[in-house]
Amino acid sequence: MAGLAAAFGSGAMTNSIAEVEEAELFFITGTNTTAQHPLIGTRIINAKERGAKIILADPRKIQLADYADIHLRHNIGTDVALLNGIMNIIIEEDIYDREYVEERTENFDQLKAVVSRYTPRVVEQITGVRASDLEEAARAYATTKKAMLLYAMGITQHATGTDNVKTCANLAMLTGHVGRPSTGVNPLRGQNNVQGACDMGGLPNVFSGYQQVANEEVRKKFERAWGVENLDGKVGLTITKMMAAAQKGDLKALYIMGENPMLSDPDSSHIELALSNLDFLVVQDIFMSETARLADVVLPATSFAEKSGTYTNTERKVQIAHKAIDPPGSARDDWEIICEVSERSGYPMNYNSTRDILKEINELTPSYAGITYERLVKGYGLQWPCLTDEHPGTPYLHKDKFTKGLGSFLPCDFKPVSEVPDEEYDFLLTTGRVYYHFHTGTMTRRISILDREAPEPLVEINPDDARRLGIQNNDVVELISRRGSIKAKAEVTDRVPKRVVFSTFHFHEAPVNLLTNPVFDPISGIPEYKGCAVRVRRCA
Amino acid sequence: MKVLARKDLPDVLKNWSDSYDVFAPSMKETGDVIFDRFDADTFTLEYGKPSLPQKSEFLPQSEVIFELKKGEYREVMAGSGKMLFGMRACDVMGMRQAGSFMKRDVTDPYYKSKEEGILKVVMACSGPQNETCFCTTVGSGPFAEAGFDLQFYDLGDEFLVEAESERGKQLIADGFFGEIDAAEAGTKIEEFKVHASKAIKEVPALKEAMERLRDGSVSEKVWDYFGRKCIVCGGCAFVCPTCTCFTVSDFQTQPGEGLRVRSWDACLFGGFTREASGHNPRGTQALRLKRRHEHKLLYYNETDVLEGLCGCVGCGRCSDYCPVHIGTLEVVKAIAED
Repeated sequence: MAGLAAAFGSGAMTNSIAEVEEAELFFITGTNTTAQHPLIGTRIINAKERGAKIILADPRKIQLADYADIHLRHNIGTDVALLNGIMNIIIEEDIYDREYVEERTENFDQLKAVVSRYTPRVVEQITGVRASDLEEAARAYATTKKAMLLYAMGITQHATGTDNVKTCANLAMLTGHVGRPSTGVNPLRGQNNVQGACDMGGLPNVFSGYQQVANEEVRKKFERAWGVENLDGKVGLTITKMMAAAQKGDLKALYIMGENPMLSDPDSSHIELALSNLDFLVVQDIFMSETARLADVVLPATSFAEKSGTYTNTERKVQIAHKAIDPPGSARDDWEIICEVSERSGYPMNYNSTRDILKEINELTPSYAGITYERLVKGYGLQWPCLTDEHPGTPYLHKDKFTKGLGSFLPCDFKPVSEVPDEEYDFLLTTGRVYYHFHTGTMTRRISILDREAPEPLVEINPDDARRLGIQNNDVVELISRRGSIKAKAEVTDRVPKRVVFSTFHFHEAPVNLLTNPVFDPISGIPEYKGCAVRVRRCA
Repeated sequence: MKVLARKDLPDVLKNWSDSYDVFAPSMKETGDVIFDRFDADTFTLEYGKPSLPQKSEFLPQSEVIFELKKGEYREVMAGSGKMLFGMRACDVMGMRQAGSFMKRDVTDPYYKSKEEGILKVVMACSGPQNETCFCTTVGSGPFAEAGFDLQFYDLGDEFLVEAESERGKQLIADGFFGEIDAAEAGTKIEEFKVHASKAIKEVPALKEAMERLRDGSVSEKVWDYFGRKCIVCGGCAFVCPTCTCFTVSDFQTQPGEGLRVRSWDACLFGGFTREASGHNPRGTQALRLKRRHEHKLLYYNETDVLEGLCGCVGCGRCSDYCPVHIGTLEVVKAIAED
C-alpha cells in the first residue's frame, strides 16, 4: 500500500472486479487468484476463454498456470529483477508509451538509468527465467491496450515488499496502463474488509481516509468533531514493532481485535514471549483463539451474520450487510464493546447504531462523503472516492491525472531474500493459504466440510528433491529453520520448483510461522513470509 | 374449477396467513425478489424464476437432528406449517424427485416431517422465465402435473385455480373464489398450456448427451476441460432442486453437551468420495464433475424420476450461477458437440 501511495497518491486497487471480464491481457504475479480470490479468478478464466492472454509470474504452478500463455517461474524473491528486466526490454525496443510517460509521469530518466542494468542475460541469471520468455512477456504486456496487472501477498510479503509494489507501478506507468478501464495495478486484498480497516484509519499514521495524524489541520478537524483537545500527532507502531516493544518491556498493554498473531506472525515463539511480557492483554474475538488464550480479558464479539454494518472490499466498494441471526451468549458487536470501554474510561461515545457511525464517517472522510446509509441500502455498494450525495462512485482511479498529480517512477534495485539458503539450510520455504481455509483457521477449521477437505498441513516438495531425500507422498517430514521446527506430511508435487517447499499457516498442529524469518519491509513493516531458509528431513 | 380476480390475491394471501406461515415472492429495496414471509407491501408476481428452489424448506442447509443434554440423547424433529406460494413447476418436480429418493428404501424422518406439513401452491409459467429454462425438454413444466395443493394459471385479470389435494380444495372454499364452468376452464387452461409449452425452447443436446453417455462414447477431454476450470465452490449442487446429499457432524456446545447436525454436502468436493485409506475413486475434479453429470443424466433411479426424463428438472440454475459456466446446458452442449 505504501508503495502504490508513493507512486500514484493512492494505495488501493486502481480498477474494478467487473473490468476483469473485459481485459485483453493479464499480468498476474504473487496471487493464486482462483484459490484466494476465486470470483476474480473465474473472471480471468472467462476472459481467457474469450481470447484474453495471461502472463503469469509465479514460482508455483498454480491453477492459473494451466491457462497461462507465458508462465515465468522466477526464483523466489526476485520480483524486482524480473520486472526491471521486462522494463529494460520495453525501453530498449521502444515500445513504451512515450506520450503517457511525458505527460503524466515524472522521474523517467532515473527509471531508465536503473533498469538499463537489468538486461535479459543479467535477469536470466538472477531469476532463472529464460530471456526469450521475458521478451515475449514484455512485448505482449506493452503492446496490449487493456492489460491488467494483478498482484497479492506474493508481491508484498517480502522484506522488499514496498520495492516490489513500486516496481509493479513503474511497469504499468511505463506502458500507459493506468487510468483506463480494464487496466491498472490491482492489489487483491486478502480479507473482505482489510481495505475498509485501512480506510478507517486502522494504521499507525492516519485517521480515516488516509488523513495524516501529523497534519495539524487534520487533527483540529477531528478534535472539533470528537469534542477533545490535543490528539496525539505522533505516528504509532506497526504490529511488528509493537511485538518487539512488548518483548523489550516498552509496551505494557495491548488490545487485539479479530487477529491471531500467535499463528499469523513470523517467528511465533517470540510472539508468545512478547505477549506474555505485557502487563495487560485484551483480546476481542468470536472464538477462543491461540492468542485469546493468553489474554487477561477476553471480550466476545459477534460474527458477520450477527451484526449490521459495512465492509469495504478489495475494489474500494463499500457494501452494507444486515444482521441475520442473534448472537449467542454474551457476544456483542465490536462497536458496542468499544463504546462501552470508552465510556467506562471516561469518554462517552454517543452512537446508537452503525448507521450513526457511518454518518460520522461521511462527515469526516472526504472520499466517503457520498457513501451514505440511505444510498447503500438501495443498491449494491459504492466505490470510493465518492465525494457527494450525487457522486456515482469511482470504478477506476487516476483517469486523466494521478491522485497526486504526476505519477512518480520510483525505480528500485534488486535485493535478494534476507535469508538465502546455504549448505545447512538448503531449501527456501514459502508460505501461503489453501482454498478451503482462511488465515489461522479460527473460523474455517470449525466448519466440518472445510476441515474435511483440508484436514491437515501439507508440505509441498518437488519430486526431484523428494527422491533425493527418500520422501514419498504422505511421509512425515520435518522442516527446520534457525528459529524452530515443525512436522507435517509431504505432498510430492511439481507445483513447487526444486529447492523450494511450500506450506500454509492455517494449522496450529504445525505452525509454519515458528519457522519464518522476522525481517520486515522497512516502510510498510510487512514480514518476509514468502521466503526463509529451511532444511527438510524425512521422519522415520 | 375456481376463479380468482387478480386484485383479490393479496387479500387471499392475507387470509391464509391467519392459518399458515405463508411464504411468497417479496421485492426487496434493492430490487431483488426472494421468497419471504408474506407482506402485502412487498409482495410481487414479477419474480420470474425464484433465485433458489425451495429445497431448504425440506432439507435445510443445516439442521440439528440430535441433541445431547445432561447425558441424554434427544432426537430433534422439526415440522413445518408453511405455505409456499408461487412455486414453479420445475421446482415441484425437483421436490417430488428428491422426496421420492428420501423415502424410497428407508424413510428419512426429518425430511418427511417437514414435507408433510408444507402446502405447495404453484404458479404455472406462461413461458420461459429466462434463457436457461428447459423444463419442456425434461418433462417438468411449465405447469405441474402432480405434487401440489393448488395451481394458479395467470390469465391476466384473473387466475384459474386448480386444486389437487383435499387441503387445496378447502383453501379455495371461501368467498373470494368464484365458480367457473368446467368445460370453459378446461379450454382456457389447455390454451394456456399449449402456448406456454411452445414458448419454451427444446434443448435437443440434452437427449443427445444422454444417449452418448449411455453408449459410453463421451471423450474424457470433455470432463478434463470442465475439471480444469471448476473452482470447487459446490454452488451447482446447492442450487439444484434434486441434489440432496448431506454430511453429518457433531459439535460440542459445552463440556458434556453437544449437537449432531446435518448439512448440505456436494459431490464436487474431494472429501465427499475420499476413502479412509486416503484413496479417492473420484480423484480429480474432472472425474467428480463427470460423476455429478452422470448421476443426473445416466445413473438416476427410474423410480425417483417419476414422469420426468432424468434426474435434472431443467430449472437451469446451475447454468445461471456457475461462475465459470459449467451448468447442465453447457455440459450437454459440450458432450453433443464432442
